[in-house]
Parts: sequence; structure tokens; C-alpha cells
Amino acid sequence: MKNRLRVLRAEREWSQQQLADALEVSRQSVNAIETGKYDPSLPLAFKIADVFGLAIEDIFVRE
Amino acid sequence: MTTAAKPRPGLWLGLFIGSVATIAGLRFSGAIEPPVGFILLALAMGLLFQFVRAISRKNADCGGISSAVRRYNLGMMIASLGYVLGLGVAITVHERLEPGWMAGFALAMLPVVPIFGMIFVMARYLREEQDEYLRHRAVNASLVGLAGVLGVGSFWGFLETFDLVPHVPGWWSVPIWAIGMGGAQAWMAISNRAAGEDA
Repeated sequence: MKNRLRVLRAEREWSQQQLADALEVSRQSVNAIETGKYDPSLPLAFKIADVFGLAIEDIFVRE
Repeated sequence: MTTAAKPRPGLWLGLFIGSVATIAGLRFSGAIEPPVGFILLALAMGLLFQFVRAISRKNADCGGISSAVRRYNLGMMIASLGYVLGLGVAITVHERLEPGWMAGFALAMLPVVPIFGMIFVMARYLREEQDEYLRHRAVNASLVGLAGVLGVGSFWGFLETFDLVPHVPGWWSVPIWAIGMGGAQAWMAISNRAAGEDA
């Protein structure tokens, strides 16, 4: 599954660590999700959407 | 103002592997007896402790360590030390005193109990880890370790059945599992970095 995490993070000038802190996960988790190595669970995807103030489908897109 | 020294896990791991290789060389050449070998191996575990501490510090600097990981590392180090000491005592006493069935069973339990401890520590980590990606990595790593045990075990077992190789004790399953698990964790960490973690 593709996602716009890196772009959204860059728009807000957040580091991976800052996003990780906001999500209460490790920086490795943010990196793995950004690079498509790991698809988050639905609860974490909702949390990511909440942090960016967007809907899930605005962040994660079908391939 | 003082700054903490940069963690160097590679250095400690290299020293540990070098120490174990040296001890194994001395033992197989007959230069040292089993009790001395096990005492030296127990001392070399101190280098492994330093390696785990350095890895933990490095991961903490990268924001990748949870309290569950800390408890896992501590539990595994204690169990590993117990395993080496238990194995050393059990083999030394068994070779010198030729104990009966009950005493032999008790001696066999010395390294077995720490192994059960390792399995418990792993299960506790999977239950306690709140970071789903780190938990996913741990599960994948343990599956790789399990694949190593099954693959190497059946490969060697069939060679042994047809008298092509000597017998190897079943307790080798734990080191093979640990090597597979550690290798998988290292591979995932390296590939994560290669994929572009922020500095």
C-alpha cells in the first residue's frame, strides 16, 4: 500500500522522530511505514490520520 | 561538561566473537580443560553484556527502544549467563563425578531452566511490546530462527540417519535459533537504515 506520509511530514517540516513522538511509536516504525516496508494496523492508521488532521484515504492510497 | 562516549556495538561484538573463537581454539587444541573453558566463556559474556548495552544506547539515540526492549535485553542476558554457567557446571560435574540418574537429571536441568527462561522472556516481550512494528520485527525474527532450527535440524538429522555425519546433541537447537533470530534482526535494522531513516 502506498502512502503520502513523507510528503505530509515534509510539508509540516517534521522529522521522523517528531512524528514518531506524536504517534507514540519508534522512529523505525515511521521509517518502515514511509518506505512501504510495513503497513500499519487500522488503529495506527487512524492515529496517523488524526495527527495530520486528514482522513485515512487522504494518506494511504491503493496501489 | 562531559559527553557520553559514542556507543560502539560492533567493537564489543567483535571482541566477544574473537574471545569465543580464542577460547574454542584453546579448548579444541587441548591447551585448556573444560572447567577453565567455561569460566573464560562466562567472563566473555561480559563483552556480550557490553554489546547489548551499546546496541540499546544506539537504538535509544535513534528513538527505537521501549521499556519492553529493555526488559527483554536484561532478561535475555541473565538467562544467557545462567545458561553458560549451568552448562559449565553440569558438564564439569558430570565428567568428574559420574552421578546417578537423579543427580544426572538435576544436572541436566541446570542449562535447561535458563533456556525455558529465554522462551519466557521472548513471550513476555511479545506481550509487552506496544510498538506494533517492533513486535512485527520480533515475530519475523523468531520465525527466521525457527526456520533455521527446522532446516538445519532436519538436514543434519537425515545426514546422520544415513551415517554421513557424526551425532550432534539436540541442545544445539537453541544456539541455531538465536543465531537465526539475531541475523534476521540485524538484516531488518540494516535494510531499515538503507531505506532512509532521518539522521
